Amino acid sequence: MHIIGNVSIYLAFFLSIYAFAAYVLGIKKQDQRLIDSGKGATMGIFILASISMILMLVLLGTSQLQFEYVYRYTSTDLPVMYKLAALWAGNAGSLLLWTFFLAMYSAMVAFSRKMIRNPMTPYIISIMMLNVIFFYFILSFVTQPFALMDGVPPEGRGLNPMLQDPGMIFHPVTLYLGYVGLAVPFAFAIASLIVKSMDAFWIQMTRRWTIIAWAFLTLGNVIGGYWAYTELGWGGYWAWDPVENASFMPWLTVTAYLHSVMIQERKNMLKVWNLSLIILSYALTLFGTFLVRSGVLTSVHAFGETNLGAYFLVFMAFMVILSMYVLMSRYHLIKKDTGQFESFLSKESSFLVNNLILLGATFAVFWGTVFPLVSEAVRGTKVTVGVPFFNTVMSPILLALLFIMAVCPLIAWQRSSMKNIRDNFLIPAVISLAVAAVLVIMGIRNAYPVIAFAIISFMVLTHLVEFIRGTRARRKVTKEAVPVALFRLMIRSRRRYGGYIVHLGIALIAFGIVGSNFDVERMETLSIGESMEIDRYTLTYENLGQRTEGVNDIVFANIAVEENGRELGYIQPERIFYLNWEEPSTEVAVRSTLREDLYVVLSGWEEDQRATFQVKVNPLVKWIWIGSYVLVIGSIFAIWGGRYGQVTPRYAGPERKVH
Amino acid sequence: MMASRMLMILAVLLIVSVPAMAQGGYDRNSPEFRESTSQFMCLCGCGQDHFECNMDGCGLNEQFKTEILEMLNEGYEKGEIKDHYVTMYGEVILTAPEKSGFSLTAWVTPFILLAGAGGGVTFLIRKWVRKSKGVNHVTPKDDGDGDEAEKDILNSLIEEERKKHF
Repeated sequence: MHIIGNVSIYLAFFLSIYAFAAYVLGIKKQDQRLIDSGKGATMGIFILASISMILMLVLLGTSQLQFEYVYRYTSTDLPVMYKLAALWAGNAGSLLLWTFFLAMYSAMVAFSRKMIRNPMTPYIISIMMLNVIFFYFILSFVTQPFALMDGVPPEGRGLNPMLQDPGMIFHPVTLYLGYVGLAVPFAFAIASLIVKSMDAFWIQMTRRWTIIAWAFLTLGNVIGGYWAYTELGWGGYWAWDPVENASFMPWLTVTAYLHSVMIQERKNMLKVWNLSLIILSYALTLFGTFLVRSGVLTSVHAFGETNLGAYFLVFMAFMVILSMYVLMSRYHLIKKDTGQFESFLSKESSFLVNNLILLGATFAVFWGTVFPLVSEAVRGTKVTVGVPFFNTVMSPILLALLFIMAVCPLIAWQRSSMKNIRDNFLIPAVISLAVAAVLVIMGIRNAYPVIAFAIISFMVLTHLVEFIRGTRARRKVTKEAVPVALFRLMIRSRRRYGGYIVHLGIALIAFGIVGSNFDVERMETLSIGESMEIDRYTLTYENLGQRTEGVNDIVFANIAVEENGRELGYIQPERIFYLNWEEPSTEVAVRSTLREDLYVVLSGWEEDQRATFQVKVNPLVKWIWIGSYVLVIGSIFAIWGGRYGQVTPRYAGPERKVH
Repeated sequence: MMASRMLMILAVLLIVSVPAMAQGGYDRNSPEFRESTSQFMCLCGCGQDHFECNMDGCGLNEQFKTEILEMLNEGYEKGEIKDHYVTMYGEVILTAPEKSGFSLTAWVTPFILLAGAGGGVTFLIRKWVRKSKGVNHVTPKDDGDGDEAEKDILNSLIEEERKKHF
C-alpha cells in the first residue's frame, strides 16, 4: 500500500512539473498539442490526488498502524468517523487534503465548459500548477503522508480529544475549501494581466468562485467558533488567536474585493486596486498557513513546531513578488481609469469607504497578530496581544463598517440628493434612535452596546426598506400579489438581493456578538441536593454519575434547571476520560434559546461527590449561528444558476492560437 | 445626648468596618476577582486569560487564581496586583500591551493608518469628482436609487417577455 501511496505522490509531483512546462512551452510555441498534453496531465494529477486521498482514508479507517501518520493520529478504539477525520489532524494529512482540493479546482478550471477555446486557460492553469508543484514538493520531500514505521506498533497514539467533535469534521474542510478556492480568482487575475486582457472578464468569470470561497471561509470560521464554544468550555467563540486572525484577514480582504469589483464592472475603475486585493487575499491564505505550520506564534491551532513554515514563507514571498512583477509590468495598461465619480454622496464613494474600513480592519488584525514579534525585535521585550486589545481596537472599526453597510444599499449610483437621503433614511433613523432610547431606559448605560444595537437596527431597517421599495415598484407595473412580486423581484436580481440577505445575516451575527457581551458567570461548589442561582435560573445538583462509551469513561452531573420557578428539565455537563490521552475533555451542557444560552461546565469534583460548576448565562448567542445560516443562504442565493442575471461573460481580450 | 452617642458608635463601627470590607469578603464570583484575574494571560498555551482558563493539566492557573484571591482579600488593588505580576513575569503576562512607551504603538498605529488612508480616499474622490465635473458640464439629473430599482425591474420584465416570445 505504501508503494501505491508514495508513487501517487511522486508521480503527481513530476506530472505537475510536466504540466507546468507543457503549458509554458505550449504558450511560447503556440502549440495546442502541448497545451492539451498539459490538460491531460492536470486531469492525471487530480486522479492521482484522489488515489492518495482514498488510500489515506482507507489506511486511517482500517487502522494500518505501520504507517506513521496513522499511528500518530489515531488509535484502534476511535469511532470510524474520527479515524477518517484524523486526515486533517496532522501536517501531512491536512496538506494532502489541501493538495487534493487544489488539484480538483485545477481540473475543474481546465475542463470548464465556460473556458473552452479561451486563450486565458493555459495561463490560469499554469499559475495553479505552480501551487500544485509547491504542495507536492512538500508532500514528497518534507512531510510524507505515507511514511512507514520501523515496526507495527500494537496501538496508535490516538486523536487529540479536542478534535473528537463533529465541529472538527467540518471546520478544517470548509476552511481549506475557502483558502484553496481563493487560488482560482488569483490565477485568473494574474492570467488576465499576462495576456493583457484588461476588462472585467476575469472578475465576472470568478464571481462564483470567489463567493463560494468566501462562503466557505465564513462557514469555516463560524464552525470553528461553534466548536470552541461547545468544546473548550470557556464560554466564548472567538479568542483572537493568531490562527483565527489568519483566517479572518483574507475574509476581510475578500469582502472588500467583492464590493470594489462592482465599481470596476460598472465604471471600469479601480482595476489596480481589485488586482491588489485578490493578490493580497491569496497571500494572506499562505500567511495563515505559515502561521499554523511554523510555530512562530503561540496558538491552540498550531500543528507543532516544524520547519514547514519556512517553506511557506519562501513560497509566499515568491508568489507575491511574481504577482507584483506582473502587475507592475502591466501597470501602464491598467492605470487609466475611464470611469467618473459624480459626487461624494454616491454608492461608489460608500464602496470606497467600505473598502477603507475593511482594509483598516485587516491591518488592525495583522498588526495585533504580529506585534509580539515586532516588540521583541524592536526592544527585546515579549508582549501578549490578546482579546482586550482586539476588542478595543476592532469594535469602533467594525461598528463603522456596520454603519456603512446600513447606508450603502440606499445610496444611489452616480449621485444621491438630499431628498434621496431623507426619503430613504428618515424612518429607519428615527426608529433606530428610538431603539437606542429604549435601551437606555432599560438601564443599559454602556455606550458601545447602545450604539451597536442602534446601528444594527438601522442596518436591518434600511435593508427592509430596500425590499419593500423594490416589491412596491414591481407591483406598480405587474399588479402581482406581494409575495409573488417579492419572490420574482429577488430571483430576477439574485446578486443584489443575495447580497442583502448576506447583509442581514451579518446583522444577526452582530446582534448575537453584542448581546453575548452581557454574559453573567458564577462558579459554585455544591453538595448533592444543593442549589445555586444565576440570573433567572435555579440549578439543583442532583447526582454525579459515570458511564462508559466505547473505551472512554464519562463522568457526568445531573442538574435540574428551573427558570423563575418553572421546571425546565435536566442538563448534563460531562467530563470525558480517554484511554489513549492523558487529559480529559469537557463536554459543556448548553440549553440554548433565542434569548440566551445557559452554559454549564463541570469543573471538578471531590470524593464526597461535592462538585464545582462554572455556569454562564450568555445572551443572544444563538443569533450568531442563525445569522451564519442566513449568510450562507444569501451566498447560495446570489450565485445560484437561473435564467436571470447569470450570463456567462464574453471574453474580449487578445486572441491566441492556443487555448 | 443619647442621639450623639449613637452617632459616635455608628461612626466608629463604620471606620472599623471599612478596612474589614476592603480586606475580605472577596470570592471567585466577585467582579473584582474577575477583573483582576482576567488581566493576565495564562501561559499554558490555552490562549485564555487566567479567569477563563479551566483547562485540565494547566498547573499555573489554579495557583494564580488562589494567589490573586488572597491578594484581594489582603487589600491589594487591581493595579497593584498587575504591577506585582508584571514585575515577576514581565509585560508578556498581560493580555494586552501597556498603553505607554513603545507598546502604545500597538494601540494607535491602526487608527493613524486609517486616518491617513481616510484622508487619501477623500482626496482621491475629490479629485475624481472635480475631473468628472470638468468633463461633464451638465450635471445629470438625480435618478435616485428608487428609479434604479424600477429600471432593473422594467429590464427584467422586458427580458421575461423577450424569453416568452423568442
